[in-house]
Parts: sequence; structure tokens; C-alpha cells
Amino acid sequence: MYREDVLCRSILGNIPGRQTRQYQSPSHTPTTMTDFKGVVVDLRSDTITKPSDGMKKAMMEALVGDDVYREDPTVSELEKRMAECTGKEAALFVPSGTMGNLISVLGHCEHRGSEVLLGDLAHIFLYEQAGMAQLGGIQPHIIPTNPDGTFDVDEIPVRLRYEDVHYPRTCLVCLENTQNVCGGKVVPLHWIDKVGEVAESVGLPVHMDGARVMNASVASGVSLERILRVCQTASICFSKGLGTPVGSVIVGPEKFMYKAIRLRKVLGGGMRQAGMLAAAAIYSLDHMVHRLAQDHHHAQLIAKAINEEKSRNVTCHPDDVDTNIIIVNLNPETVTPDQFCERLLMVSEDEINETGDGGVLVKVMPWTTTTVRFVTHLDASLDHIQAVITKLKYVIRELDSIH
Amino acid sequence: MVGRKKKDVVVTNMKDEYIGHSIEVTPFADSDIEGGSLSMGALEDGGPGGAVPAQMTVSVEEGIEGGAEMEVVEMKHSPEKKRRVRIYSQKFRKEWLHLKEFQGWLTEGITDDRAHCTVCDKELLAGKSELLKHSRGKKHRTRAAKSNPNPPPVQHGLSRVIDEDGMPHLLRIVDLRSDTVTQPSREMKKAMMEATLGDDVFSEDPTVKTLEDRVAQMLEKEAALFVPSGTMANLICVMTHCWGRGSEVIVGDQSHLHLWAQGGMAQIGSVHHRTIKNLPDGTFSLNEVRGLVRDEHDPQSPLTSLICVENPHHNAGGKAIPLNWMDELGALCSELGLPLHCDGARLINASVALGTSPARIVQACDSVSLCLNKGLGAPMGSLVIGTKEFIAKAKRLRKVLGGGLHQSGIVAAAGLWALDHVAPRLSWDHTHARALAQSVCEEHSSAVTVDLKDVHTNVVLLHCDNIRVNAKKLCQRLASVTDEESDELSEQIVVMALAISDTTVRLVTHCDIRKEDVRSATRKLKCLKYIKLDVHLPANSCSRVSVVSPLL
Repeated sequence: MYREDVLCRSILGNIPGRQTRQYQSPSHTPTTMTDFKGVVVDLRSDTITKPSDGMKKAMMEALVGDDVYREDPTVSELEKRMAECTGKEAALFVPSGTMGNLISVLGHCEHRGSEVLLGDLAHIFLYEQAGMAQLGGIQPHIIPTNPDGTFDVDEIPVRLRYEDVHYPRTCLVCLENTQNVCGGKVVPLHWIDKVGEVAESVGLPVHMDGARVMNASVASGVSLERILRVCQTASICFSKGLGTPVGSVIVGPEKFMYKAIRLRKVLGGGMRQAGMLAAAAIYSLDHMVHRLAQDHHHAQLIAKAINEEKSRNVTCHPDDVDTNIIIVNLNPETVTPDQFCERLLMVSEDEINETGDGGVLVKVMPWTTTTVRFVTHLDASLDHIQAVITKLKYVIRELDSIH
Repeated sequence: MVGRKKKDVVVTNMKDEYIGHSIEVTPFADSDIEGGSLSMGALEDGGPGGAVPAQMTVSVEEGIEGGAEMEVVEMKHSPEKKRRVRIYSQKFRKEWLHLKEFQGWLTEGITDDRAHCTVCDKELLAGKSELLKHSRGKKHRTRAAKSNPNPPPVQHGLSRVIDEDGMPHLLRIVDLRSDTVTQPSREMKKAMMEATLGDDVFSEDPTVKTLEDRVAQMLEKEAALFVPSGTMANLICVMTHCWGRGSEVIVGDQSHLHLWAQGGMAQIGSVHHRTIKNLPDGTFSLNEVRGLVRDEHDPQSPLTSLICVENPHHNAGGKAIPLNWMDELGALCSELGLPLHCDGARLINASVALGTSPARIVQACDSVSLCLNKGLGAPMGSLVIGTKEFIAKAKRLRKVLGGGLHQSGIVAAAGLWALDHVAPRLSWDHTHARALAQSVCEEHSSAVTVDLKDVHTNVVLLHCDNIRVNAKKLCQRLASVTDEESDELSEQIVVMALAISDTTVRLVTHCDIRKEDVRSATRKLKCLKYIKLDVHLPANSCSRVSVVSPLL
């Protein structure tokens, strides 16, 4: 409950150990949560989405079996569909994207002394607790990432290890699409193809961390199958923008899936009547993919609204927003990401009077030392987004008036 | 020709191309002809010119031996093209079941001149063209499209299964392979759908929190952590206890952790297994444990970091480990300064068997893993239970292993429901297991034996002598239905079990096994008397159906 505690305390204005704020709101009167009658919009991540009634109905009606014996018909159906829509031979349902990536990396790098080439801002490198090293004994070899989410393809043959007793053996190249840290960027198709070409020329397979590849497909209008053409395997999440409660899928060659099933078991991802979760995923394939465009549109609205303020302190450009993730830049001399996030979780009387409707609280995530991340999703409707925009405008103007 | 009987026969369905050849004919219902072959050779020369009518009367002579051979002698009468009266009765032919157009709906009818459409639930005349006409009908096609092309997996009550000859059967399938096969009930699903959810990666799912708090309280430990599976729960516990490099764990040589986790603690956790011989009751020698603990000053040795116990012990037949031994082991671990982990996958079963609370059983344990997806019947999920500090580390390991789920409250809700509604009825599973074991004991078969005293919980181990029958054959036999058996039992019963070794078959009862399933299974088990001393299942005995796993 740590985060809730922090958020509640910030409403009460009572954060232990906090430094003096650099800004002072003119007439700031924090309200308690019990008094708050306005809107709370959570844009910390698209993983917070809850299953809709239609999705729950599908889950309840799903036919299930024991998936460890490979007898769950709904899981089989999901795997078949995902294999088909990605143009791969087979698929495997796994509990999370972290496990999907871990299984893929371990599956490609079976022998001792392996190394993986990947971007330095890759989720696999930054946010998976160094799983490939911790659990697989595999070394990550990072390549600097460009702001558009790509890296220099020529780095692959340069960093590729040749056979030498001093060197580990390069076993895999990993891509990420959409690139999360860079702001949900859709990496260019021609770049993916180029990476594939170069990787093939040096005999390396390519794995795509496609946690949000559905967003990439909708934003670019390119089919999943085309995006993943040069990738041998990919990991695709359902529990993000597609809104299911749990679950991801790995796709790839049939032979790879035999290894993947074993790895899934040893890691503890062998779930029994997982068909209930797979049913949610199937529902999302039918109903939630096309609506991702709305999330992208909402993200654009927020970015435009921030941009229109032409603030010195809070900036964001709509051209930098490809999908449902917005990275907002803050002037480090005036406000830190933590402070900005806190401010968005406070309301003052003046603010309520001016904006009306009881006020708005917005939950977002501090991202780097100078940025904050907003993520739009299906549980944030247009009304919510308008409320967020109202709030942002108020806060930005307040900040600009002080600094 | 002299002495051979002559008869007048009306032949229907005649065609031009039959003239001059021998054709196979089937007799009308009221015919005194046996049917068989009819030689039309004579008509080649003296037959009527032009097209042959569909119905004609011919004079035939039966074969010298009588019966099945006939030869047309002359055309007697060829009526004008009259409206054909359908009076012939074709018998149902088994070969039709192989035809693609009849797959999935055609079965034999009540009488041998009828067929049955299982989709429309209708009796049809057994004629191929008639059946084809039916299959193309709009009503049939609509109903066939609506009916589930994938029959549901093993549901208790009767199941529709298609055998390898394409013939559908209605069977009672009793799935005793494991207690993991249970289906979530309607009420459990309702609880899942009504659960309040949040993102558990942000620790904001209230239902998961409730479950974790409840189980921690139940086991009188400080905290708990929800994970997707028992394998992950055990792996997390071992890795958390063995936080430093070069660790070793003392674990029973028949334990699940050692045998059935794919060597995970070594493969993923870099932890060394040091096995100790499990005794038939699931315990091990405490003296031997002392001998296995490593000298921490010896650089050749890894460091003993943990001792593991499994309660109930599954490989030993689901045996509940005695309380006093658990306490003694706990005391030993304290003395040696080593933590104790209990793989309590089926701990609630042990608590029912021992007549004590689960907390009492694991009193001396520093960590416990408990499964919701076995006898408790939840679709998935397990818990790690320990101190707050332990759980904080365990949470990190859960994340790196890929067990950090988002709105996992939806499955945690099933666990909560199970604790309320399924846990109290676990004793029934034990009763059912004893009933099954009893039925085998009563047969006094020397080929397949079980000791009733060994059945503590919901697991029954049948021991095969490996001379007359081995475990694999026994499982196959239990999953097959012979004509004799279905006649005797008036029911087609399939019992699914697992051969866990060459000589041991495991039966596991669970909440989806009802009284009538136990009754059917015991009746079937009593058919073990078919496995007599010198009689093996004959190679070509009429085995109507053989199901090893349900067809989906």
C-alpha cells in the first residue's frame, strides 16, 4: 500500500522527509481524500486497466482445462490465433511480458557464455531486474539508443563477438517496439527490416519485445505479421493497452515453443485453468485492438494542450508522441518530476473555483530526473482526458506565474 | 441348370452399367432371398434393347450351394417408368462413419435399417443418399454449426468422445489424473467477476491483499505473496533463503522439489540439491541430516542454506507427515541454525488428515508454499508465506521470474472462494480416495495392490506387479472400454489415471469427483478381475473405445 500512502499523504500535504518545495502555490489549501468530490484520473500506466463487463463475460463462459497437460482449449485457441496473426508457426501463453522476454532470451541463448545485443534503454535491460544475467547467466551488451527508439544498425557487426576464448558468444539481437523509455515510439519498419537483414547476415536471430506492438501496428497501419517478419520470436502483452487482467504471449517457430514450454514450467509460469485469462485475451483481440487509436488520439490531445501553453517549465511536442505514451519535459531548475507529480495530486480552493466540477487529480509517473510519463488507456475516456488537460493547464500556468 | 431353383426377383436401383456384370444386392425386408451376388451376364445378349429400367423383374437361379449366389436367367418384366416405391431397406453400414460428410453427427440407429443424427436427434433411414440429403438440409447445417465443434474437455457426467474409427460414444469419464484438473464452479467464477481489482505490480490490488493477509493469518506467519504456480512458489522460497552464491539445500530424494521442478533451483537459482533418502512415510532420518550439513569453513563445500520438507508427501502417496516429526525437524533446524521450508502444496489436505490446523503443522517452518490450484480447485495460483522481510525479498524474485501479474485479484478471488467453500469439504476427497482403494483391496488381486493404511489424503497409489500388468498397461486398460465390460456394467466408464513409474498408477480425487463418479470408478476398478493370472488383454479384443486423454 506504499504508493497509496504516498498519494494520500500528498493530498494531506504531509509527506515525511520531503525537502522544501521550490515553488509556492499562492493560495494552496490541500484537501483530504474524503472531502474530494472531483475526478481522479490515473495515467501512470496502461497496465492499470480493469476488465470490462464483456471481457468478464467471455472469461466466465470460457471452456477450460489443465494447460500444464496442454488441455485447455481456450489457451490453445488464443495461441493458434496469435500464431496466425503474427505469421509465426506457434505461440505460447505466459503470465507476463517479463516472463515472455525472459523465456525468449533463455530459449535463444541456451549455452554457457552467451551475450545479447540490445538497446541501452530497452525494458529488458532496464526493468527486468537483470533477469537474463541473474537467472540465465547471459550477458547483455548494450548499444546506445536514439531518441526515436532505434539504434545504429552498423553497431551490430561491430559489436558482434568473433570466436575467441576471451569473448562470450553473441546469440541474439533484441528490439523493442514500441520503445517505452523513448516515449512509446513506433520504430520505423525499414529499420526493423534492416536489423533483420544484418542479423541474418551474421547468423543471429532477432527477438522483439513487443509489449505494445499492437499500439505500433495501429499507429503505423502496418500488420503485426509485417512488423514481425524478420523477427524469429516476439513477446506481446495483453495486460497493457488491450486491457486484460493478466497475460502475454510469445510467438515463434514451433521448435522454439517446445523449449519455451519447458522454460515456462521451470520458471513457474505453468498455470492450470489459464483459459479464463486466455479468454480475456481473445476478447481483447476482437474488441480492443482497433480502439487503441483512441488512446493515441487522447495522447495527442494532451501533448497539444501542453504545447499550446508554450511554457518555460513544462514542455512536450505532439510530434514526439507516436502512440499512447507522452513524455513531458520539466525545467530542472524550477520543478522536479516528483514535485510535478505531487502537484498534480493536489487541489486548491482557487483551482476548484476556477476549473469547477470539484477539481481533478491526475496520477502520473516520474520518469527520469527531468521527465514525467503519462500513459493513456481504455479506462481514461475523453472526458477524463479533458479533465486532465484542464488540470495541466492550470498547473502549468501556476508554475509559469511563479517562475 | 437342372435342379437349380428358379425364382422371380424384383430388382430395384438397376443401372445400365450393371448389365453383363455381377452386382451385389441386398434383399427386401420381406424377401426370401439371402442377397449377395447377382450375375447379370445373361442379359447382355438377350436383354431389352436401349436403356435399362431402374426396376425390373428377372428370373434368377440360385447358386448350386444355394444362398448368396444368383444368376439372372431372363428378364420377366420391365415396367414402364413408374414412380419408384421405396420399400427396400438398406442396413446401416459402418463404413459410412469414415466418410467426411457423416463425421461428427452420424451414429447407428435403433434398428439396423436406421441411422441416427446426433445433432438433430432424429432417426433416419439408413440409406447413403438419404443421409447425404439430410446432411445438406438447412436445419441440420444450422444445428451442426451451432453445436460446439470442440466438445468440452472432460466434464463429469457423460461426455461425447469420438474414437479413432470416427464413431462417437457417450462415456462417463472419471478423471483421476490429478487434482489440478478441476474446473472452476459457477459460484467461484461469480466471485472472480465481482472481485475488486487493482494493479498488483503497484501493490494496489485489494483482492490479492485480502488473500495474502488471510493466508498469512491462517498459517500464523507475518506475510504472504500470491504467485502464479506452486513451482514458482517453491523456487522463490529456495532462492530467497539461498540469497548468496554457492548455496546448498537438503531436500528429500522423492520430493517434488527435487524430482518435478525441472531442477529449477539449480537451473535458475544456482542452488545445489543435496538429497536425503525419503522414507516410505515421507519423512527422512534426522540423524542423517546432521551428517549432510556442510562445514562452512571448508572452501571445497557449498554452504548448506536450507532444509526442505514436503507435507503431505506426494510421491509417497499423499502421506501426511506426523506432527511430532515436523516438530523434531524444526528443533533440529533451530539447533543447526538453518531455515526450514515446507512445500505445502496440499497442506490443507494434510491438516484435514491429521485433524489439526495448518498453522500447527508448519509452526516450526520459516517459509511455506501453498497451492490454491490443486485440491482447493482454483484455476491457478499459489502463495509463499513467511516473515515480512522474507516476503519483501520474495516479491523481488517474483518479479524477475515473471510472476508479477497486474489485475491478479481476479484469480485471487477464486482462491478466497475456495478457502471458504472448498477447503471445508476436502475430507470428502479423502473418503472418496479410500473408497477407491477399498474397491481394489476387495478384489484381492495379486497383480494390482494397494494398502489402505497408505491412503491418508486424496491420493491412491496402485502397485502393479510388473509381471502380469505394468502401470502403463493398467492406465490404458482403465481408459479403455471393452464390449464385455460395457455389457456387464451397462455403462461405458473411462477412468483416467497417471502411471508415475513402471509399477505405480496414481489416482487423485478432487472436488469435481462426485459420488456417482466414485461409484462408477469402483465398478470399473472391480473389472480388474479381467486382469487375471495368465490372461493379458487380447490383441484384437473388441475394444470399442480407447481414451488416454480427452479429445478436444
